[in-house]
Parts: sequence; C-alpha cells; structure tokens
Amino acid sequence: MSSEAALWPFIVYFLAVLALVATMLGLSWLLGQRRANQATNLPFESGVLSVGTPQIHFAVEFYLIAIFFVIFDLETVFIFAWAVAFFELGWEGFLAVGLFIFILTIALIYEWRSGALDWGQKTRTGWKPER
Amino acid sequence: MNSGMWQALSPLLALSGGTVVLMLQIAFHRNPRWSVAITQLSLLLGAGLLLWLWPGSDYQSLLLRVDGYALLLNLLFILAAAVTCWLSPAYIALRSEQSGEFFLLLLLATIGAMILAQAVHVASLLLGLELLGVALYALIAYPDRSLLPLEAAVKYLVLSGAASATLLFGFALAYAGTGQLAFTGLSESLALAGSGAYTLVMAASVMIICGLAFKLSLVPFHMWTPDVYQGAPSPVTGFLATVSKGAVFAVFLRAFLETGAYQFPIILNSLAAIAVASMLVGNLLALRQDNVKRLLAYSSIAHMGYLLIVLLVCSDPANHDLAVEAALFYLVAYTVTTLAAFAVLTWPGYEQYQGPEHTELKHLSGLLWHHPLAGLLMLVAMLSLAGIPLTAGFVGKFYLFSAAVTGPHWLLLGSLVVGSGIGIYYYLRVVYYLLRRDDNHALLPNAGWHESCLAVVLLAAVLGLGIAPQSLIGWIQSIL
Amino acid sequence: MNALWLVPLLPLISAVILILGSAWLGRRAVAVLGVGSVGLAALLTARVVTAFLGSGEASTQVLWTWMAVGDFSVQVAAWFDGLTAVMMSVITGVGFLIHLYSARFMAEDDSYARYFAYLNLFVAAMLVLVMADNLLLLYLGWEGVGACSYLLVGFWYKDVANGAAARKAFIVTRVGDTAMALGLFLILAELGTLNIQSVLQLAPGHWATGDTMVVLATVLLLGGAVGKSAQLPLHTWLPDAMAGPTPVSALIHAATMVTAGVYLIARTHGLFLLAPTTLEIIAWLGVLTALLAACSALVQTDIKRILAWSTISQIGYMFLALGVGAFGAAIFHLVTHAFFKALLFLAAGAVIYCLHHEHNIFRMGGLRSRMPVTFVSFLLGASALAAIPFTSGFYSKDVILLAAWQHDPLLFVAGLCGAALTAFYSFRLLFVAFFGPAQQEPDRTIGWVMAVPLGLLCVGALAGGALTLPLTDVFPPAIGVVNHTIEYIAITVTLAAVGLAAWRYLRQRPDPASGGLREFWFAGWRVDALYELLWVRPYCWLAKRTQGEPVDHLYNGIVALARANHRTLSALQTGQLRWYATGMVFGLVVLLAVLMRAAL
Repeated sequence: MSSEAALWPFIVYFLAVLALVATMLGLSWLLGQRRANQATNLPFESGVLSVGTPQIHFAVEFYLIAIFFVIFDLETVFIFAWAVAFFELGWEGFLAVGLFIFILTIALIYEWRSGALDWGQKTRTGWKPER
Repeated sequence: MNSGMWQALSPLLALSGGTVVLMLQIAFHRNPRWSVAITQLSLLLGAGLLLWLWPGSDYQSLLLRVDGYALLLNLLFILAAAVTCWLSPAYIALRSEQSGEFFLLLLLATIGAMILAQAVHVASLLLGLELLGVALYALIAYPDRSLLPLEAAVKYLVLSGAASATLLFGFALAYAGTGQLAFTGLSESLALAGSGAYTLVMAASVMIICGLAFKLSLVPFHMWTPDVYQGAPSPVTGFLATVSKGAVFAVFLRAFLETGAYQFPIILNSLAAIAVASMLVGNLLALRQDNVKRLLAYSSIAHMGYLLIVLLVCSDPANHDLAVEAALFYLVAYTVTTLAAFAVLTWPGYEQYQGPEHTELKHLSGLLWHHPLAGLLMLVAMLSLAGIPLTAGFVGKFYLFSAAVTGPHWLLLGSLVVGSGIGIYYYLRVVYYLLRRDDNHALLPNAGWHESCLAVVLLAAVLGLGIAPQSLIGWIQSIL
Repeated sequence: MNALWLVPLLPLISAVILILGSAWLGRRAVAVLGVGSVGLAALLTARVVTAFLGSGEASTQVLWTWMAVGDFSVQVAAWFDGLTAVMMSVITGVGFLIHLYSARFMAEDDSYARYFAYLNLFVAAMLVLVMADNLLLLYLGWEGVGACSYLLVGFWYKDVANGAAARKAFIVTRVGDTAMALGLFLILAELGTLNIQSVLQLAPGHWATGDTMVVLATVLLLGGAVGKSAQLPLHTWLPDAMAGPTPVSALIHAATMVTAGVYLIARTHGLFLLAPTTLEIIAWLGVLTALLAACSALVQTDIKRILAWSTISQIGYMFLALGVGAFGAAIFHLVTHAFFKALLFLAAGAVIYCLHHEHNIFRMGGLRSRMPVTFVSFLLGASALAAIPFTSGFYSKDVILLAAWQHDPLLFVAGLCGAALTAFYSFRLLFVAFFGPAQQEPDRTIGWVMAVPLGLLCVGALAGGALTLPLTDVFPPAIGVVNHTIEYIAITVTLAAVGLAAWRYLRQRPDPASGGLREFWFAGWRVDALYELLWVRPYCWLAKRTQGEPVDHLYNGIVALARANHRTLSALQTGQLRWYATGMVFGLVVLLAVLMRAAL
C-alpha cells in the first residue's frame, strides 16, 4: 500500500474535526442570543456565586513537605528494588544501598538543620531573621 | 568492582564527597568562607586525580567511559568551575542572604557536566543532563533580591523541561525502534534495522537533536539564550555558557560518533541547516546589541554553530581525528575566552547589589583607562571571540576552518566566513567602548589581589593559547 | 646556541612592558629596562656568535612552532650563518651603545618610556629581519622596522613638520616595499617556497642565467632595497627623517635599518648572480647615488642633514660593491659604516645637546677646546668616513674601489670622485664646527653615559678595519688581486681633498653663500619638487575626484542588509515564554516534516 493512500483517511478525519468544531462555534455565534446583564460574565458554578480571589496563598511549607514526600518515597522505590534482589546482589548491593541511605540521611540532616522541616518560624543555622 | 573502576571514577567520587561534606558543613556551621574552601578543595582534588589518571586511562562500563577525551573535558570543566567559584563569593554575598548552597549547587552542576563528558549510554546522558540542568535552575535564580534572575530561571526551567521531554521522547522512540539504549548498541542495531524501524529511528534522532540543540542554543531553539544570560548572575552565566554548553556538546559529539548517526544523510543535512542558521542568526542578532551579556548570548549561538561544523566533518572517517582535535581545541579556547569576558562582567556586579547588573555597553565605556587590567582582559577576550590572530580564538577558528576544508562543506565554510565577518563588527564595537575616553566611571571598585590574580591567569591563558598553542595541540593529539 | 630565540625576544618584551607600564614606571626603571634589555641581548649575541665562530656551521633553528594543524604548520625559524652573526652583532652591539647614550640624551623628554619602547621594538624587528629563515618573516621584520622608523621620526609629533617627515619616510619606503612584496609573490609563484635557503638552492635549476623572470624578481626585490636604503630614486625621505631624535638617526637612519636593503641583496645574492643585468643596475645606481648625495652633502649647513646625505652616499658605495659582486666588501663597509656613522651622529648629537638644539654648523665653531671628547670622536669619525689611511673606513672603501676597478674602470673613476667629495665634505663639517672662533658656549656636559658609547665607537671606527668577518662560507670568493696602485691613488685623492677643505675652511669661514648650483644641490637636486609635480599633485587630485564614489555604495548596501536582518530577527526576541516555546515547536515540526518527507 502506498503511503499516500494510507494517509488519506487521516487527512479526511482531520478536516472533518476542524469542520465540526467550526460549525458548532459558528452556528452558536450566529444563532445564539446576546444579552448584557450583570451576571452574563460571571463563571457558572451551578448557581453558587464564587467568592474571593482564585489566587489563594498556601503556605510554602505545604509544597516543601510534598516535595520531601516525593523524594523519600522514591528512596523507598530504590530500596525496594534492591530488597527484591537482595541475595543476588550480596554484599556489594548492601554496601551500595548503605551508601545511598547514608547520603539521604545527610540530606535529611541538612534539611532539618536548615529549618526546612519547621512550620512557620524558621530556625536556619547561622541566620537571624530580620525584625 | 575492581580497582580500575575506583581509579577511573575517583574524580567524580571526590566531587561527590565534596558535596556531602559541604552539605554537612552548611547544616552545622554556616560560613561562606568554609563553603568556598571546601568547594575549591574538592575541585582541586578532582583535578589532581584527573591528572593522576592522565595518560593511559581507558575505563569502560555500561554507563560511563573514562578515556582521554573525557579526562581532558573533565579537567576543563573543573577548572571552569574553580574560576566560577573564585569569582562568585563577593558577588553572591551581596545578592543573597545565604551563599553556602550556591557552591553546593555549583559542585553538583560540575558533577553533571563531568558525567556528560563520560556518558556512553542514554541513561547516563540523561542523568548528567538533569543533574546539570536542575542545579543550574537553582543557580540562575540564586540572587533572592531581584526579579530578573527569577524570570530567567523560570524561562529556562520551562523550556529546558520541554527540551528534556523531547529528548526523552526521542530516546523512547529509539528504544522502540532498536531495543537498545547504549550508544554502541544503538549503532549495531541501526546497521541491522529494517525500513520500518528506520523511520522510527530517524524521528528519534531528530527529536534527540532538537533536545540537545536547545541546550546548545542552536537556531531555532535559541530564543531563551539572551534572556537567561542577561537574567542569570554573571558568574553563573559564565558557567552556563562554558561548562553547560561544553558538556552537552561533548556528549553530542560522542553520541553522534558512537551511534553511527553520521551515516544518515538526513541527519547530516538537518545538522548542516541548523549550523548555518545558527552562525548567521546568532551573529545578526548580536549586531546592534547594547547589553554585553545579551551580546555574548547571541555570540554564543554563533559559536555553537561554528562548533557544529565539526560534527559534519567527522562524518568522513578520514577526517575524524582532525575534527575531534578541532572540537576539543575550540572548546578549550571558547571556555577560557568566555570565562574571561564574564569575569570582567562580574566585577562591576560587586558594587550594585540593588537592581539589575550594570552590563550595558555604556558601563564599559573607558574601562581600559580606568581599570587597565579589567579593560585589557575584556579587550583580549573580545579579540579572541572575534578570532584575531595571536589569541586563542584565532587558533580555534583556524582549526575549524582547516577541518572544514578537508571535505565538501562549502556552505558551512561560507557561513563561517560571513558570520565571522559580521562578528568582528560587534566585537570591535565593545572594544571601541572599552577604549573611549570617558569620565563617568565610578562604577568599578578597585581590583583586589583576588580579582587581579584571576585576571592575570585568564589573560595569560587566552594569549598563551594564541601564541603558543602547540603545547595544547600536542596534548590533545596525544590523548586521541 | 639555544639562547638564540631570546635575543629578539628580550627587546620585544621590554618594549611591551614599556608600552603597557609607561604610566607607572619611573625614569630610572625605564632606562634600566630599555638599555638593559638590549644590553642583555648584546651579551647573548656575543655568546652565540662566539659559539658559532668555534664551530663555523650554519644552521637553521626553529625558534617557535606556532601551531601545527593537520598538514599545515607555522614555524618561526632562524637561519644562522656568518652573515646573520655579523648583522646581529652590529645591531645589538651598536644598538646597545646608542641606547645607553639615549638614556642621558633623552633624559629631559616627557615621553621617555615611549621613546625606549619604540627603540626596543625597533631592535626586535631588526633582529627578526636579519634572523629570518624565510622571506615572509624577513618581510615582517622589514615592515616592523619601517613602522618603528615612522614612529621615531615623528617622535616629537607636536610639531607638524615632524609628522610630515615621518609620513614621507613611510610612504616613500612603502613604494619600495610594494615592489618587494610583488617580488616575493613572484618568487613564491615560480619556486613555490619563500624559504631563503630553498630559494637559493632551487633558483639555479629553475632559471637560466639572465632569464627574464629572475631579472624581474630581482629588480622587484631591488625596489624594496632601494626604498629602505634610500637609494636613487627613492632616497628623498632620509634627509627629512632627521626630524627624529639624534640617537634615532644614529641607530635607524645610519647604522642599521637603512642598510637592510644591502642585507637583503647580500642575503639573496644567489638570485642576483643569476641576473647580471640587475647587478649592473645596482652598481650604477649605487655609484650615481654616491655621487649625487655627496654633492648635496657638500653644501648643507645642518649638521644632521650633512650626515644624512653622507649616509645615502655611503650606502651607494655598498650598492656599488654589491653590483660588482663584492658582497663581502659591501657587508664589510656596512659594518665599518655602522661604527663610524653612529659615532658621527652621536658626536653630532652631543654638540646639539650641549648647544641647545643648534643644528647649523655655521653657528658653531671653536668647539675643539670646549668639547674635547666630542671633538676627538668627531675627528676619528670624519677620518673614517673620509677613508684616511689606517681607519676602518679606509680598508672597507679600498676593497670596494678595488672591486669596482676590476669590474669596470668607469665605475672606479666615479667611485674615486665620490671618495674625494666625501673627504672634502666631512672635513668641511669638522673644520667649520670645531675650529675657528667660537660662536656659542656649550653650557652642559655630556657625562659618562654619553662619553662611554662615544669612546667605544671610536675604537670601532679606528680598529674596525682589522676585523675579519666570517663571511667566506656565505659568499662566493671575490677575485682577490691586490692592486697597490689603486690604493695609492685613492689615498692621494683623499688627502688632497682633505687639504683642499683645510685650505678653504681653516683660513677663513666663507658664508654659505647662495648660487645656482649650490641651491640646486642644497635642495637635493630638486628631486622633491619633481616628485611633488609628478606624483603627489596628480594623486591628490585623483583622490579628491573619487571621494564618495559608487564603490562605497556596495559596502553600504551590505551594511543595510545586515541591519535589516538584525531588525527582523530582533523582533522575534519578544521576551515572552510562549513565543520561545512556539519557536522550539516550530523547529521540531519543520525538522520532523523534512524527515517524513524524505522517509515516506
């Protein structure tokens, strides 16, 4: 089968999609009624009025904790992979994972000491908050 | 696990150990001086181990290969990192409350670059690339008192993420087509691949090229370059321009050669088009640029375009050695020269911690008269970038030229010549500003021994490579 | 021998330091650096030359490999043989003495560091010129000394006339340099190499004696030599070049640079031997220059201009020697001339120094008792110049006249006339400036810094004739029939001329009266006016006419094109992330589309 023949259905389908979307938008624009009421430009939330700004400030700690979760969760993935092949890898594997966990521990110590785990007031080493 | 492996990996391990120690130091005793000392020490150790490994190392594992090529580039990256580390403390101290992590990130980025130069497998490529990239996002955004770095970091993060995704997609397609991920394995499979896999593999190659071309800021993936260069703190820009690009080019070249991608005319033609576009567009964009950092960004686009010529030349096995030599020499020359330029740009940054850096051309006006050493360094750097004889840049460009004339690359050669011609205009424009007699120059503090030492070393390096390049050429020839 | 590369490098480094550090270096530091570097170079040269005299083997030394890329390799190599040894000794030796002298002579000048920087740079370039093993490097040195000469002639640039003199020196020699460059191209095209030794080896096989091409090539080279060495018809720049400081005149415009043309011809004598026509031209050009310049020297009143014309005339003798195939004699005269002419210039400089920039000899007088050291120096220098027996100039000129006699008696007669004129004008200068009633009182002393170079050069001017130059391996042996008759004739004529000068200028002091011939000679045979009419005016007219002509529009078009492209591309750098991402996607899609087009 030649390649162009194979492409035809796709092209037709693509054009059909374009035509359908254009028709729907065009018809609604042509046929639909237009009003300029107070509520016209409000988002439709099943009749409930939206209150406040959509840009809510969450405390940055939420994200930090989330990231830590991802990091340490991934750690368990690696350790799990090692555990499955525990006997095949032997002492070499044990040492490698030991090193891995050691470095992660140091990372944990670093996070702890630099205040990443504190909520609210930070107590970073060597840093005095400005008043 | 044998002693050969430990030896070959010892430079990487030295730097990794350095990061661990640095992390502990920051956790328990936050002191910028200590951080700098630990960083420099581990860089020094890494460089020492590289030199110890020097001539005969050829260690190969599934992921990494430590040969002369990798050693030379690793040494280059470590030295560039050391220069960056030497430049940064005063700059960062004024712009951020805490400078310890800066050096941590610098070390991590260096490790990433080193891995890239050693990578012979898609996995190690990605590992190195992401280690380098992620550390760079943070480094770019490091100054916490201004918006420009943040903007630059976000732009780089988003676009670089997209590029990495493209790259990964390419790898996935390649794997789908061949079932291989190591460079050499890919090459074997490519030779056997049928016509069905051929299309798949070509699409994969194009996507991989696009991903890497982004990191090298080749046209049309270049648009981020000026904004990021301008926004990033000057020392980091220097690092990004030299180490990041050098490392990506190193892995690009290695992948290109070892996967046998050079056998496919489509790939060669795409690369040629990208190279020509980069040389012309980069130089044209730099033409009337008034910000020196943006100017250097555009010029780096052009320089990466020049460098791409090497890839096309080495597709002919007869010229392979000459081409790789040219690439290595050019990378060294470009790195040294660019670091020199950014060293000078970092200087004025010491003073103004509020607001954007003073890196407009008018801020350099009369530099040579007010601060002869800084002015001279900038002058020499510009001449070297322009490729004026007796500077490193000339020898590098000449190398490229003599590599290119070995084959039928007339279009590339023409672009090289035209591009260099345009380039001279804007480099000399900087020189013109440097030489102006102006009085409005209270910007630069008097250089301390710290900056003067570095300036003298960089000056000697740029001129030395131009006047007596033979020692480095001999070195490169001996390791290939 | 390994120290060879240091010899040109030392003055070069010193020049670079002086240029860069002119603001910070004290006068003493400048003097120590400027004089010391050349002094060290002289010591090294002495060592190298001693070693060479022991072994006597000519050799090529690669001083520096710039780069070897692929098959292409740039090496800077020195060819070291007897000729190189002689030239290097003269340049560093005489150069050092002149540097030392300058340390005091220029002590009160504001641009002390600039002066020594240029002077050191000159020495470096001159050394490159004589050490070069290929003609290209030689050309580099050739242009280098030209540039230094330009800088030093116009050293006191605040006076417009000095700037004009410098420009004239540069442009006139440029004419010769262009010819020389053409000659180099011709040699490269014909022989495929510019390495001097290869050229000399290949030439006899490639060209028959008297071949048109070799005559053309040698004539073009001769053009360069004529320009640099101020011979007819490109001699007009040298008298004006006296605008520079006197030590500069001594070093550049007497001892070294102006003899570069002689060196060039001697170095490539193998080519010239293939072109007897050119040799004949050289001989006649030389003797003609010697005569004409001597006539001009006869009537000058400015002490430096007299010496300048005499330099032109003496180099004419060297050309005569070259033309008759006595290359060794030419180099011998070059060496002795370097001694006695440097001595004369430095002594003249001492007079000028002590009399507050007085140049007119008729306003001097009676200096014999007031400046005894200078007087003795001048006496010895003038004697050597006039070729009084047992001075160095006598021996070297004698050999030249002998060679001329053997070649063509007519040349000999002309040379003899020149010798008589030389003796006359040199002693006229001596008698007018140093004898007779005093006109001005010197109020400064020259001190040991200036006296020592004078003393050493006196020794050179006296005893230089006893030197045996190691040139036997370099040049074909001259036909050595000693003819004492020639010698006696020369001595008689010289002494008679000295006597005549004494008779005319010791009894009374005739004013430099005007007169037709006198003015004609004073103006250097009015060649300058002729050139002004023939070349300068038409050229300026043409230049005015072609100002802002269409050729420029082409370049403007290129600039406009580049700028337009720049504007278009800059418009794409919006700073907006979405555009950047779009650009990337666009690139990816285009590449993929091209790929699919080819693959499917």
